[in-house]
Amino acid sequence: MDLLRFALRKLLAGLPLILGVTLLSFTLMVYFGPDKTYQLLGKNPTPEQIAEIRHELGYDRPFVTRYVEYLRQLVTLDFGNSDSTGEEVNAVLARTIPVSLALELPGFILGNLLAIGLALTAGYFRGGWPDKLIMGLAVIGMSISFLIVIFAFQIWFCTSYGLDWFPVRGWKAENLAEYLRHIAVPTLATMFVALGYSTRFYRAVIVEELNRDHVRTARAYGTPPARLFYRNILKNCAIPIITRIMFTIPSIVIGGALLIETTFGIPGVGKVAYEAIVSGDQPVLKAVVGLTALLFVVTLLITDILYRAVDPRVSIR
Amino acid sequence: MNAVIADALADPTPRSLWSAAVRKLARDRAGLIGLAVVLAYLVAALGVWLGLWATEWAEITGSKWAPVSAEHWFGTNIIGQDIFQRGIYSTATAFEVGLVVAVLAAALGGVLGALAGFFVGSWIDELILWAMGVLDAMPFYLLVAAVAFALADNPWSMHVAMIATFWTTTSRLVRGEVIKLRGMEFVEAARAIGVPPTVTIFRHILPNTTHILLVQMTLAFVDAIKAEVILSFLGLGVKGGMSWGLMISESTLEFLGGHFNNLIAASCLMFGLVYAFNMFADALQDALDPKQVSA
Repeated sequence: MDLLRFALRKLLAGLPLILGVTLLSFTLMVYFGPDKTYQLLGKNPTPEQIAEIRHELGYDRPFVTRYVEYLRQLVTLDFGNSDSTGEEVNAVLARTIPVSLALELPGFILGNLLAIGLALTAGYFRGGWPDKLIMGLAVIGMSISFLIVIFAFQIWFCTSYGLDWFPVRGWKAENLAEYLRHIAVPTLATMFVALGYSTRFYRAVIVEELNRDHVRTARAYGTPPARLFYRNILKNCAIPIITRIMFTIPSIVIGGALLIETTFGIPGVGKVAYEAIVSGDQPVLKAVVGLTALLFVVTLLITDILYRAVDPRVSIR
Repeated sequence: MNAVIADALADPTPRSLWSAAVRKLARDRAGLIGLAVVLAYLVAALGVWLGLWATEWAEITGSKWAPVSAEHWFGTNIIGQDIFQRGIYSTATAFEVGLVVAVLAAALGGVLGALAGFFVGSWIDELILWAMGVLDAMPFYLLVAAVAFALADNPWSMHVAMIATFWTTTSRLVRGEVIKLRGMEFVEAARAIGVPPTVTIFRHILPNTTHILLVQMTLAFVDAIKAEVILSFLGLGVKGGMSWGLMISESTLEFLGGHFNNLIAASCLMFGLVYAFNMFADALQDALDPKQVSA
């Protein structure tokens, strides 16, 4: 019951944030965004035709009316039909979001696990050569552009100039083998790029914990490393680690997939959102940005609840 | 430990954060090498700005896909432009983007963070926190694309979008620091003798957050250069010039023909600058960390 009240209060506190994001995105993308009138009209339109199309797209109504209409759509989760294809926006999202998730999740999970593993290794051998090697590689990884990684991996793994093992573009997920074949290179690229930043972050958190008295005591009592790392270190580092992981979630659902999806020709939500911006497809844009804001607030809420679960000192009141 | 004490006794002059930081930085070999490489790139960029070299970056000076030679150090691209000149010219673009974004984002973040921290709990703080939350909740690339369209293809739209999103990190850190500082005696003393709040913030508090601003600026510089490459590839970045991002995006046309000089040149030049800057930023961060000064 307490938890429910806490959740509701947090969601209510998230309202100004949602209003802010929707207002900003509405002003930028819808009010100042591309004008679709003339793309939809034939040659030599009459003024009446122009007025009719503008009315259909809602361009002739005042700013406030259009914004309130947007909020109504967001609350009812009914965003109408895409301006470009006429397809229902919810159908577009239902088609593309699972693709993005299937594409991003394996790399996200494996990347974070690997980063934590490397960070633990570096922390354990602090100052020694494994630490220096891992941290040195992390800085190199941080210094290579995501775009370069993508192209290098594409050339290396997917063309006859390299190994030619995987398809360069496209998306098929009918069976497991096809699915794995298509996500292999994008996943490697995502992991490679995230690994440098994540490992450094996790190492900093772990090293701070390693310096604490209780860890020294546990060590002095001869706690085996595996147990020491799990019970005395990882559990105490849970809050910063959870925060980092949780806050990447909204961006991997929408933003992070954009570049991968564009370069690998994968029909996910990031690509759809990007195309909507470029073409001025307002119904799709409104849905994507509005839902991202909602997702962000929900993530904040879940993070707060998780804090409570891992750290009894955090109160939900 | 004894060595530190002996060192402190032998040198009775009080050491400020800054002189200690400079000493520490001077001992950090990786950081110094990084700084030297960054300065070499800066010289390359200055030469471009002064029109000393890379002046023919847009001219067709050779045949299509000419190999590496004494005349064309990195070969030529798909229409016969010299890749080395284009790469060097792009260095200037990278510095322009990095410096403009880093300085302005740090300035904005510093001022807003100091205001929020000084008036913590008031409506000013709430408003600034809300603005930071809103910007952080927007997907970065969508925001940049939206700003690019809203500014109607203005060449500065990329810079505006990056500054608008990069200041929030600085602002959060400065806010936290200022909340600590506002409880200290020197702020109390300023208030006691009737110094107005704005003067207190800008004359007395903000200078004490310079170490945060400096480190954040180096991080923003690197982030801006990396973001430029991706944005230029997406068609939202540099307009009417040349940049590493545009070179990489141009190089995708050459993959099918098996020509990778453009990609390799842009990648290596960019990696060199970003890696060197990361090394320097790390050294600076270590040197300026107040927690480590006494150690």
